[in-house]
Amino acid sequence: MKPALLAAFGALGLLGLLVVMSAVYRVSETEQVVITEFGQPVGGPISEPGLHLKKPFLQKTNYFERRFLEWEGDPNQVPTRDKRFVYVECFARWKITDPLLFFQRLRDEAGAQSRLDDILDGETRNTIAKHDLIEVVRSTNRSFAVSGDPADEGAALGGETIEAGRTALALEILRTAAARTADLGIEILDFRFKRIAYVEEVQKEVYSRMISERRRIAERYRSEGAGEAARIQGEKDRELKAITSEAYRRAQEIRGRADASAADIYAEAHNRDPEFFRFVRSLEALRDSLDEETLILLSTDGEFLRYLEQAR
Amino acid sequence: MTPTEAGPRRAAADYVRQLQPGGIGVAILLVIAAIVSWSAWFTVEPEEVGVVLRFGRYDRQSPPGLHLKLPWPVESVEKVPVQRQLKEEFGFRTRTAEIRTRYEESPDFQREAQMLTGDLNVAVVEWTAQFRVRDPYKYLFKVREVRATFRDLNETVMREVVGDRSVNEVLTIGRQEIAAEAERRLQELCDQYDTGIHVEQIVLQDVNPPEAVKPSFNEVNQAQQEREKMINESRAEYNRVIPRARGEAEQTVQQAEGYATDRVNRARGDAEAFKSVLAAYRRSPEVTRRRIYLETMNAILPRIKRKVIIDSSLKGVLPLLNLDRPAEKKP
Repeated sequence: MKPALLAAFGALGLLGLLVVMSAVYRVSETEQVVITEFGQPVGGPISEPGLHLKKPFLQKTNYFERRFLEWEGDPNQVPTRDKRFVYVECFARWKITDPLLFFQRLRDEAGAQSRLDDILDGETRNTIAKHDLIEVVRSTNRSFAVSGDPADEGAALGGETIEAGRTALALEILRTAAARTADLGIEILDFRFKRIAYVEEVQKEVYSRMISERRRIAERYRSEGAGEAARIQGEKDRELKAITSEAYRRAQEIRGRADASAADIYAEAHNRDPEFFRFVRSLEALRDSLDEETLILLSTDGEFLRYLEQAR
Repeated sequence: MTPTEAGPRRAAADYVRQLQPGGIGVAILLVIAAIVSWSAWFTVEPEEVGVVLRFGRYDRQSPPGLHLKLPWPVESVEKVPVQRQLKEEFGFRTRTAEIRTRYEESPDFQREAQMLTGDLNVAVVEWTAQFRVRDPYKYLFKVREVRATFRDLNETVMREVVGDRSVNEVLTIGRQEIAAEAERRLQELCDQYDTGIHVEQIVLQDVNPPEAVKPSFNEVNQAQQEREKMINESRAEYNRVIPRARGEAEQTVQQAEGYATDRVNRARGDAEAFKSVLAAYRRSPEVTRRRIYLETMNAILPRIKRKVIIDSSLKGVLPLLNLDRPAEKKP
């Protein structure tokens, strides 16, 4: 083989390879392609993954994402309707639904991001400013579970009813934004508030409110303790009085009854001969009451010494 | 480039120098063959699954092991750890997971965990989300930045759930409920976003009031303890006094009963004795009367030290008596 011929074959082969490489393009699972001829879009978007053919050199491939794409809101200080400043961070997920339109209107993702910034940040600001803070924080009118502690006193705040709520507001923003992105070849799939936080100064106020709230609860506990202790003390005193007086009453009743029946018994016996009773009882009393210090004068006239006298 | 690949290539270069000029084609072919054979096989680790793409199009999944594929650029492989339990942490990061695990801290993590409660208070909620890739196809191809998306969803869901609860619920009684509710909603969102992620569990870690407010929360706990203490002490006093008083009351009553029994029995005894004596007296009154009198005198007189016997014929004897005598006995 002559070298010239070899070179010619080589050149031809190289040319052929270039043509093939320019005519064949690959679309992956995550991509979609718009073909342009001298900057002019040709045919519909190609989103079927695999190998595809185009006119070599004349046509150009423009790749676009087929997946859900991210969007992060600029964390921004926004006043709510009730004049509270909060930082709102939100995010959205969107995708390119019509690459052709997308290509014409926004060119690339950076263009889309900046347009989304305009639309979503603005809508977020508007919506937040139209509502009270509570609407952005809560999603439902669910009543708080209460444990019965006075610590739950503050739960009365849950009595505030919300009209829309967090999820509904996000949906509202999504809907308004969707209307404005309809002709951009993109679709916002979801929009959500990620973080809502108080700005520094408000945070301090909230903290001091929380602290005072806790103080109140603590005081309440203490006072409850003292009150309960006093109540128990009172109960103790009352019961003590009741117990002792009741015992006294019963004891007196019992004693009284016993004295009465003793008196009856004595009377019944003594009534048989009152004179004899007096005699016996007097002697008994004398026997008990005269002790050794007593001076006794006995007359020989007396009953006791009568016989002494007579014996003389 | 690995040595195994460099080896044949250097050999090929030597070969080219030897076999001028038709040898160039052969050398190129050899290089291509080396690349092709290198990219014709792949290994899938036990916890992974291999997703094979043909010209960028999803073709098949390969289980763990050694597999053949068509060489580059026809087929390519993405490996997804479907069996491994993956974890995302919020509000903290594990630096080294050892027996004593260390955590990193940063104000960024603080912001991750700080959230508003339904009563417009602030709570710091740290949690982890454990998940697995259920559908490798969706996981790879449906969402760009799927891990970041998953994190965003986590934060959203947790704040939604916490935002509907009072700070007290979040800090105390509501923990389990919050975890369960967040898990449910997160799975819903993951499905809605086509992430292919299966949420295995959300575990709430430390749930605290913000640092600045913590002392006052502790104060509440302390006050609660104080309350219990005061009540207990009061109860103790009650318990010390009342049962004893009950016993003492019973004692008083019993004593009264005893007195009553004693009194009545004695009365009966006395009455019976009187009746008996009376019966005897009635039988011979004069003698009995006298006897009782004399017996009594007999009992009284020996005890009495000073007895004066006065003859009935003496008159005006009283002034002679020294009635003060007992006083003289005093020292």
